[in-house]
Amino acid sequence: MLRDSVTSLAVAEHSKYAIHEDPSAGKLKGALLKDIHRSVYVYRVDCGGCNGCEIEIFAALTPLFDVERFGIKVVSSPRHADILVYTGSMTRSMRVPALRAYHAAPDPKICVAYGACGCSGGIFHDLYCVWGGADKFIPIDVYIPGCPPTPAATIYGFAIGLGLLGQKLKATHHVQGEDERAAPAHSQIPYLLRVQIERESRRMAGYLYGKQIAERFLTIMEQNPNQVKEGMQAYLDKQADPRLAEIMNRLTAISDGFKGAA
Amino acid sequence: MLKLLREVLRTGEATIPYPFQPVEVMPGFRGKPHHDPEQCVACGACAIACPPNALTMTTDFDQGFQTWNLFMGRCIYCGRCEEVCPTGAITLSPDFELSVMNKQDLFEQADYKLAACHRCGKYFAPVKEIEYARSILRQSGLPETLKTNACTLLDFCPECKRKNDVGKMVNLYQEKNDVTR
Repeated sequence: MLRDSVTSLAVAEHSKYAIHEDPSAGKLKGALLKDIHRSVYVYRVDCGGCNGCEIEIFAALTPLFDVERFGIKVVSSPRHADILVYTGSMTRSMRVPALRAYHAAPDPKICVAYGACGCSGGIFHDLYCVWGGADKFIPIDVYIPGCPPTPAATIYGFAIGLGLLGQKLKATHHVQGEDERAAPAHSQIPYLLRVQIERESRRMAGYLYGKQIAERFLTIMEQNPNQVKEGMQAYLDKQADPRLAEIMNRLTAISDGFKGAA
Repeated sequence: MLKLLREVLRTGEATIPYPFQPVEVMPGFRGKPHHDPEQCVACGACAIACPPNALTMTTDFDQGFQTWNLFMGRCIYCGRCEEVCPTGAITLSPDFELSVMNKQDLFEQADYKLAACHRCGKYFAPVKEIEYARSILRQSGLPETLKTNACTLLDFCPECKRKNDVGKMVNLYQEKNDVTR
């Protein structure tokens, strides 16, 4: 109850500070997109980020990705900017500088919320000292999620903002169907054995590779139910990796020693 | 000058022709978490693991619905959801083209039905989770009597199970000490 009222208070506070775009500026924006999609100037506003986003923006400027081939250029004053890029989770003390940058940029302008923090506050969204995203008081046109967005994702985001590419992501809402069932993996293998194998594999190789190795082991086991050892040896000979062999042999020992639950 | 030109020609073009051609991502790249709603059992492990609360679960006990929500704008692509998912419903796909003009498009939702307790009729757990537990019990290799016992217990809410246990213990105690006589 208290939490609810605090949240609604915070929302009210936010909407009080939100600035709204001039409707005539919105119309101008369409004209801007039509005219300038050859050369746009970008101003970066760092509102309390970790600098990961800045590094990726600069990576997008390097010869490898080279956003300047689209005429996108980073400028050092908001007065020259067509695009404002807000990075960081918008700390309390960066609100006024962010607004000053917004008002300094000439209309029409495109505002971009960059990175997970810029879009919503990211991992810092519930800190006491952040507003939680640039869109809390600045009218945002493009959201570029990512932590940080890769240079390719940055180029894609700008291309969307400039109307060069279409948006791929759509909101989805799935409702459980009538006979919807989740199928357990590897139904041939006793569950308790599968758990032991997955645990050991994960313990030895970490969650990502452990999962992949356990998956391969269980698949081989299912394919050769009677000669697990032979199947495994054939696989290991092909891979020629002593680390993998160590783990697989451990897993084979576990499956050999498995007596079932009874 | 000529030397420089030769060097330039030898190096060729370094720029990646993205977005005119698709860009290749490294193996193991962590992009958009892909959620397979059919395979999901709405257990909520991902929502507990998610560090920035991009994944959340909301439960509606009146209507009997559990809703899985993903807010892509908050996701930090750490892969913890993939790590904890018991059914492999979430995997991090190599998809990185996630920019949107409309914030609503960053949301993904899935509704799952809750099962009602066979005794008290209260909603207590997602239907799919219970069915999944049942199918795991079937392949567990436990003795038949234990299996059927466990399977019937799946239909009752934790409170009713507790009451059932207490009732049984009281009966045992009475039989043992013959309190009634």
